[in-house]
Amino acid sequence: MAIAIERPRVVARRAKRYRVQRGLAHLLTYLGLAAALVFFLGPFFWIVTTSLKGNEDFFAFPPVWIPPDPSLAHYVALFTRSSGARYFTNSLVISSLSMLAALVVSLPTAYAIARWRFGGGLLSAFLLVLRMLPAIALIIPIYIMCKMLGLTNSYLGLVALYTVVYIPFAVWLLVGFLRDFPVEIEEAAMIDGCSRLRALVQVVVPIIAPGMAVVALFAFIATWNEFLFAIVLTGIETKTMMVLVTSFTTGGTDMFYGEASASVVLGVLPAFAVAFMLQRYLVKGLALGGTKG
Amino acid sequence: MRGLPIALKRKQWEPLAFAAPSLALIALVILFPLAYSFYLSLQNFDLSVGPEYEFVGGKNYVEALVNDQRFLGSVWNTAIIIAPSLAVELLLGLGIALLLSRATRGRPIITALLAIPAMVSPVMAAMAWRMMFGVKFGAINNLGRQLGLLDVYFDWFATPWLSIVSVVLVEVWHNTPFMMLVLLAGIQSIPQELYEAARADGASPWQRFWSITLPLLKFTMVVGVMIRLIDLTKLFGLIFVLTYGGPGSSTETVAFDTYLVGFKDFRMSYAAALSYVIVGGVLVLTLVFLWIQRMREARAA
Repeated sequence: MAIAIERPRVVARRAKRYRVQRGLAHLLTYLGLAAALVFFLGPFFWIVTTSLKGNEDFFAFPPVWIPPDPSLAHYVALFTRSSGARYFTNSLVISSLSMLAALVVSLPTAYAIARWRFGGGLLSAFLLVLRMLPAIALIIPIYIMCKMLGLTNSYLGLVALYTVVYIPFAVWLLVGFLRDFPVEIEEAAMIDGCSRLRALVQVVVPIIAPGMAVVALFAFIATWNEFLFAIVLTGIETKTMMVLVTSFTTGGTDMFYGEASASVVLGVLPAFAVAFMLQRYLVKGLALGGTKG
Repeated sequence: MRGLPIALKRKQWEPLAFAAPSLALIALVILFPLAYSFYLSLQNFDLSVGPEYEFVGGKNYVEALVNDQRFLGSVWNTAIIIAPSLAVELLLGLGIALLLSRATRGRPIITALLAIPAMVSPVMAAMAWRMMFGVKFGAINNLGRQLGLLDVYFDWFATPWLSIVSVVLVEVWHNTPFMMLVLLAGIQSIPQELYEAARADGASPWQRFWSITLPLLKFTMVVGVMIRLIDLTKLFGLIFVLTYGGPGSSTETVAFDTYLVGFKDFRMSYAAALSYVIVGGVLVLTLVFLWIQRMREARAA
């Protein structure tokens, strides 16, 4: 309104200045974001290129940033010489089993909380406190118990532990998905003579499957990333990728760069996949500790 | 709950039956071990001495809180790593979130790319950076030498202070993306009308930031910082790979020191007592967190 009574030339000059300012702000915004991308993704770029370098490239100066003839030799060495294939499989098996078990156990509990407000707010608060509980508080008694039961160096011990440690997070996320689910659909199934459990499995689960997939992916990443329980409870046959990677630190800061970088690439692969699949849920999942075992 | 037909009224035992499996497992794998750990913390069980132990009461706790210079030092180390990490993560995260909120094109893809470090395990993040810091073959020394900024092979973990700075740098790289995501969500939930009204009143971008964005983002920032604070008290994998507590014990965190006591010295009872001291600290922080959330809900209502 104020502009309308000003002389046309002044208005035009002001509009031009505004456009220039906006263009400049735009440029600075994207420059800043580019700098952030370099800082946060640069290490991944360097690790990937390093894993593809030949051994002589490590010693070269000026340094080789992009290997002229990339080779997978370090991956082959990791899989054969350092038993990488076995440990990669271990990680896959342990994470998949814990993910499935955590879902199966958590779903009915989440249902009880979402539909019946089971335990009132108390149960939810209890689960939140468990989420804050440091793993270090469990490691001493769990180690002694596993030792007594002969569960160290076994899949079973680690899978059982991961499953239970993950329940609070899975329940929290599932409650959210179940609350969004219309009660009427289940009621209709139950009027037709379906039991509550059957309604849950055959009616609710297929519809909230995408939500369950989100929980499953977070659970997979969390168990994949877990380190403290893994290093204490695994032995030579059951090591996970997280434990394997630490074995390369023994050579001081200049170690087996080839195999070490190859194992890091394999170790961060699921994180890349999940970050893209779960874009919409990242904040919620990370805030609740979805990626911390 | 809406009015259900009589036939669908829940049976009394149903909720309990649905919740029972996970509650039983939590009791068995979390609550029982915690109780057992407390019992252990009152004994003098030391695997390096032998399988026999006896009741010593609160002796372990007194030692931890009064005499154990190494543990008390690790409390200090943890604090000195946490404080700058939180400050930088908050500021950097806020800056990037503001940039992202202004980006008109490609925001989802840039956000997803920037979020990746937060999805990676601390061990892998630390391993990548340990190689980057590598004295002879590391990317940082190589780049520095190529650009003429460094003329020697620099050891980034040579002194205690330098080690702490390096640890903080890796921690900032690892978890700023989390702060960024939380703050971006907060910024996006601020109603656009407020900015339009302020612009109509002739407020400068700076004024809009100080009197709209920042006040409305305050609670989001507090929650983000609290979550990071609680998680940082558990800092373990990063230290294990990056410095293994060194040089000396200058980067030993509370979790790492407890690990060493338990699985290097095998002093099980004492490690259990240390872990209970940590739990006490985390519990206080968690209660503060819950209290803040409640205040926020009360304010929203």
